[in-house]
Amino acid sequence: MVDDSSTIRLQARRTLVQAGYSVVEAVDGLDGLDKLASSCAVALILCDVNMPRMSGIEFVEALAKFGMPMPPVVMLTTEGHPKLIQQAKASGAKGWMMKPFKPDVLIAAAKRLIAA
Amino acid sequence: MTETARRVILVDPDAEGRRSLAERLRGQGYAVETAGDGASAAELALAHPPSTVIADLWMPGVSGLQLCRLLRSEPATAEVPFVLRAARDDPKSRFWAERAGAVALVSKGRMGELFRVLKRASAGAPDSTFFMELGTGTVDVRDRIATHLDAALFESVVAAEVRSLASACSIDGVFDSLSQLLSQLSNYHWLALSTVSGHFAVHVHPACADRAVSAARASLGVAEGTPSRSLEDDDATPLGVEKPVTVVRNVLFGRSTIARIAIAVEKASYEVEELVTLVARELGGAIRLATVLEDSQRLAATDSLTGLANRRTFAASVKVESERCDRRGAPLCVLLLDVDHFKQVNDRYGHASGDAVLARIGALLPEQCRGYDIVARWGGEEFVVALPEANLAQGREVAERIRAAVERTVIHATNGAEIALSVSVGVALRSKDEPQDALLDRADRAMYAAKTGGRNRVSTAAEPDGATDADNESCTEGLRVAS
Repeated sequence: MVDDSSTIRLQARRTLVQAGYSVVEAVDGLDGLDKLASSCAVALILCDVNMPRMSGIEFVEALAKFGMPMPPVVMLTTEGHPKLIQQAKASGAKGWMMKPFKPDVLIAAAKRLIAA
Repeated sequence: MTETARRVILVDPDAEGRRSLAERLRGQGYAVETAGDGASAAELALAHPPSTVIADLWMPGVSGLQLCRLLRSEPATAEVPFVLRAARDDPKSRFWAERAGAVALVSKGRMGELFRVLKRASAGAPDSTFFMELGTGTVDVRDRIATHLDAALFESVVAAEVRSLASACSIDGVFDSLSQLLSQLSNYHWLALSTVSGHFAVHVHPACADRAVSAARASLGVAEGTPSRSLEDDDATPLGVEKPVTVVRNVLFGRSTIARIAIAVEKASYEVEELVTLVARELGGAIRLATVLEDSQRLAATDSLTGLANRRTFAASVKVESERCDRRGAPLCVLLLDVDHFKQVNDRYGHASGDAVLARIGALLPEQCRGYDIVARWGGEEFVVALPEANLAQGREVAERIRAAVERTVIHATNGAEIALSVSVGVALRSKDEPQDALLDRADRAMYAAKTGGRNRVSTAAEPDGATDADNESCTEGLRVAS
């Protein structure tokens, strides 16, 4: 769960833990890359767009550049500009969810992506 | 692939029609999800992009056209084929359906056509699982439609503004207006334009002109020697960072690149990239028109061999200068020059050598004149010079200087032979209110007198009031001057 807002991280963590997932938190894109390197078997990444140091789009682009099989990424953001969505899609993100999210929608998406 | 390939979202406000069509579609093997209005269809489609959407053209609330435009504009559904249905297949509906990006417009009764279209459309649908959820916030489908409408409005306004730059009629004018437009839409450090016709212009804040011009030169690939036109004012933002981000785009007309634009901003953003892309896409017409107009004006005003003004330009400029001199009570002299034995040059060394002679004399004349004198090719091997504010003595002096300069000039024919050159010059001083034709006629007769007097000399015309007899006298005097 990559987001600079601790409130959002907490909301997402609660929702996901209730559904039986365990959650690793990161505060921006760079931190996200670090956590990904030190955590094993990440099945899904939820990622904000506007963050200090490294934005969510840059984070996805960086992941895509690794050339390794990357876990599915869903952007979770208040942003909605089609150009940003297009950038995320082109870099390999699997979806775009606008904040505030519906918990059941988040879980449904997580289940679908992890099963795929 | 198989799971999504034949999944269809069907939108129809009429519950009965929706149910019966869904049933027929399921009978054809499609997985059908239905919606009674455009907004809920949009949420369904975004959250789980189907292989095809079928919707009514006109629906209450969000119409089929709006839904189609929305799904086309959203990255999640941009490639999902969209089939519109209408009560009648009329040209107007077809026009709007095409503009909105639908793959087909099908009349409601024609089921066979609908199935054929659907089969083709869903077969071509790309297999993308990217989805979009609008969340529980204030953003709903109508906001998304408004967002896309705003973007479309912005694009059409900017496009119309850029296209209207064509009325500027010159590259400089186009660039001035472009900088006024773009400096309102973005905070750029500099804006630059280069054209294949050799224009290079930069708009920049006065504090950083030098750096900007060399950065723009590098970004646009403009050669070092190309002169730059620098527009400097506070509409451009002073450089606040060491290395601004530069966005460069080619400007096309038809298929060929006719210009390039570059913009330097503090930070890269999709807004700036989009803006420059849009401007570059729309600017070709204005640049092309300005280039054609400038070329045709130059061609119409100049002589192609020597690059001097032609007869028409000369006449227009002399008219203005004559009136000015009359107002000020100042004199104006005209010199008419004819290259001696030019026909022999052509006959003996060929026309290429003849052209070289004319070009050389054309280049030499302005060097012997002042910047505001008017030098033109009169036609054939004749040249004409107007000297505002010059009296007869000064006119003769310039004529003699030209005569001597031509005499000193040696030019080599294409076969290497030396061609000796000389000119005969007639000088006439304009009388107040004398018509241009009469003035040039006197200069011509004086030049003729110089020819008959032995060539390579200067001859002065008689006063306009004098009879034809007086010409000879005056010419004799002219010959003395020349000798």
